Amino acid sequence: MESNLITEDKQKNKLEKALEILKTMASKPSGLIGLTIVLFHVILALISPYIAPYDYKAISPNTMLLAPSAEHWFGTDSLGRDVFTRTILGGRTALTVTFFGSLIALLWGGLLGIFCGLVGGKIDDVVMRVVDAFLSIPWILAMLLIVSLLGTSTEVLIPALGFFYGKGIVRVARAATHDVIAKDFIVSARARGHSNMSIIWNEIIPNVRDAILVEGAMRWSWMLLGFSSLSFLGFGVSPPTPDWGLMISNARGLMSFAYWSVIAPIVGLSSLIIGINLTADAFAKALGIDRSTKAPV
Amino acid sequence: MKYIFKVFSVTFMSLILSFSIANASSGVFKVSHDLGFGKDTNLDAITKGRLFQVVIKTQNRLVRPDMNGVPSPSLSTDWSANSDATEWTFNLRKGIYFHDGSAFDAPDVKYSLMRAKDPDIGSPVRKSLNVVEDIEVVDQHTVKMKLSTSFADFPLLLTDYRLRMIPEGSGDTIGQTGVGTGPFMVDKFDPEGTTILKANPDYWEGAPGVAEVHVIAIPDAQARIQALLTGQIDMNRYVPFNQKKIFDSNSKFTTTVIPTGNWRGVVMRTDTAPFDNPKVRKAFRLAVDRQELVDLVMGGAATVSCDTPVMPSDQYRLQMDCPQNISKAKNLLREAGFPNGIELTVYPATLEPTWPTIAEVVQQQVAKAGIKVNIEMVPSKGYWNEVWMKKPVSMTRWNQRPADTILHEAYHSGAKWNESYFKNADFDKNLADARSELDFNKRKKAYQNAQMTLWEQSGTMIPYHVSRLVVTSSKVKNLDAVDHFSIQWHKVKVD
Repeated sequence: MESNLITEDKQKNKLEKALEILKTMASKPSGLIGLTIVLFHVILALISPYIAPYDYKAISPNTMLLAPSAEHWFGTDSLGRDVFTRTILGGRTALTVTFFGSLIALLWGGLLGIFCGLVGGKIDDVVMRVVDAFLSIPWILAMLLIVSLLGTSTEVLIPALGFFYGKGIVRVARAATHDVIAKDFIVSARARGHSNMSIIWNEIIPNVRDAILVEGAMRWSWMLLGFSSLSFLGFGVSPPTPDWGLMISNARGLMSFAYWSVIAPIVGLSSLIIGINLTADAFAKALGIDRSTKAPV
Repeated sequence: MKYIFKVFSVTFMSLILSFSIANASSGVFKVSHDLGFGKDTNLDAITKGRLFQVVIKTQNRLVRPDMNGVPSPSLSTDWSANSDATEWTFNLRKGIYFHDGSAFDAPDVKYSLMRAKDPDIGSPVRKSLNVVEDIEVVDQHTVKMKLSTSFADFPLLLTDYRLRMIPEGSGDTIGQTGVGTGPFMVDKFDPEGTTILKANPDYWEGAPGVAEVHVIAIPDAQARIQALLTGQIDMNRYVPFNQKKIFDSNSKFTTTVIPTGNWRGVVMRTDTAPFDNPKVRKAFRLAVDRQELVDLVMGGAATVSCDTPVMPSDQYRLQMDCPQNISKAKNLLREAGFPNGIELTVYPATLEPTWPTIAEVVQQQVAKAGIKVNIEMVPSKGYWNEVWMKKPVSMTRWNQRPADTILHEAYHSGAKWNESYFKNADFDKNLADARSELDFNKRKKAYQNAQMTLWEQSGTMIPYHVSRLVVTSSKVKNLDAVDHFSIQWHKVKVD
């Protein structure tokens, strides 16, 4: 009975803390704008399949490159497809791929960084040199190699993006762990004979979590840009899946006379990136982290 | 009197000078190529990786197509055949020199053509040239070609864009030097950068109108269009029709629409399951709406093809209709043992700007017949080495050729560029019969039978023959409004 009460209290505290962070984030105009934009995109991504007015695949020579009108709010593209439909569904693709990609990056990058920071020694040296080696490879070339070998499905893109964007998180997590492991509660945990796993789970993660989450949020916006770049080059998701990078790539040659086919995906992509950046910034400030120095403020 | 003489002399000298200046080659004509053969790109016209944008300007053929595609004199001034068209005698132009200073004569012709037949070189043109059994050097300016069979259209075969004359014995170096008798000489060969050609002042048809031609490697189609818009190149012969508006309204550019026999297509390897079943291949081809492809991809500027590679203006083309037929396609798939349809992957690259769009439209069209098409983009660089004739389904594009050449080259069972690995004894026999037939109507019937076999059996879906949208900078003058291989490049000028 008593333990249930303690758990409930803990959950209540977590919820209160989360709400407080959100309130702090929203208290600044930039944070409020960022949160609003991200929320708008997330809601749109969730409901887009139900509100899309046309079939995103439907091609027709009779509706090629129609200017915006009451029937087609954002006009049509060179294959006669509705740009509004493809834009709102394109956000869904981008958010899905990059959200899960960021999650993978956070998980493997964060855990490996914490582990290296804790154990140190030769294992740390070897792992960090391998990470450095990977960091020196231009990600876009490596991604092109992967998609050339394995294809461009989301099953390939999500783990591949997660891997490449997780490398930087390893370094941040390791540095944050170094700040923590010299503290008394870690020394005493070691003296009590706790295992490395137990120390990581109970002592380190709660103390480095904020820094890693902020880094993850930033990586999310970079990953979004990276994913759209891949699509722009034709190596993102496969047609006919609607995707902003692919839409921009297909319509870039028509910009001078069919601007509508390219403006909507550009606005969608840039607004989401700006929104995530503002949110991540506000999130860091609300947690008391200075992103420029990665130090508490 | 002395004064009048002086005035007369100055005027006369000025006239001579201005005449020389007016006739001197000047200016730079900049064009691009797509680097589709990657590291294999070379200047040997008979090899797979030939950079034709250079070769067609540096080397001549014996016979070239005139503006209507009819064989006309080039390095050969005239020709004649014996009564059964098994022996052809060609008289050569006199006083012609290669860029290296050596004289062009009969042994060079024998060397150039026999080299194209060499199995060790394995030229893609070898199959269609196999009809030539021997070439006899009658004298320095006459050659006699002995054929294995009667061939009334033999001069047409010699108009092939790859059958260029090179100096005897130059085979080992021609890939880098590109030496020929053409209007331009290779100054610097840099396939991945800028290849520079200089005017040949002694060209037999007259000095070229421009001093230099720069051939710049730009693999991406959109990048080539941007290069044209920004003045980096002066001509783009692969502008998609949906971008015509950009240039139509701009006085800096001239647009020309040229109907051609060039075609684009989707190739299924007939030696690979499930495309080894003719019913599956035909089901895919029947599921395509060709007119919709013409409208969506080419803006209407193309002629529908029922999977025949023979150009619309060719006398041997089989005329037929082939509307989309989904129910028949489904039936064929069911009969082939695929009642639930099939799934395949195509690999477009942007080296041909219309490929990705063709793939997307076909994807939607054939889905109605239960054929699921996945699209995987691949890099342009090296496409012809890594994807084409390697993957089970690939995209293709061909420049126009005479009926006999294209049917041999793309479908004959022994052809090097038989991209669908098509093997059909009836088809091969029809081609052989057509060549040896001296009666035009019977010959036509044989070629059309061969095309009918393609409609029933082939692995290549050819939706249309394109009209080419050629956009040039308005500085470019005297460019013939014909296909690449008929243009007389020496006449081109750049203001």
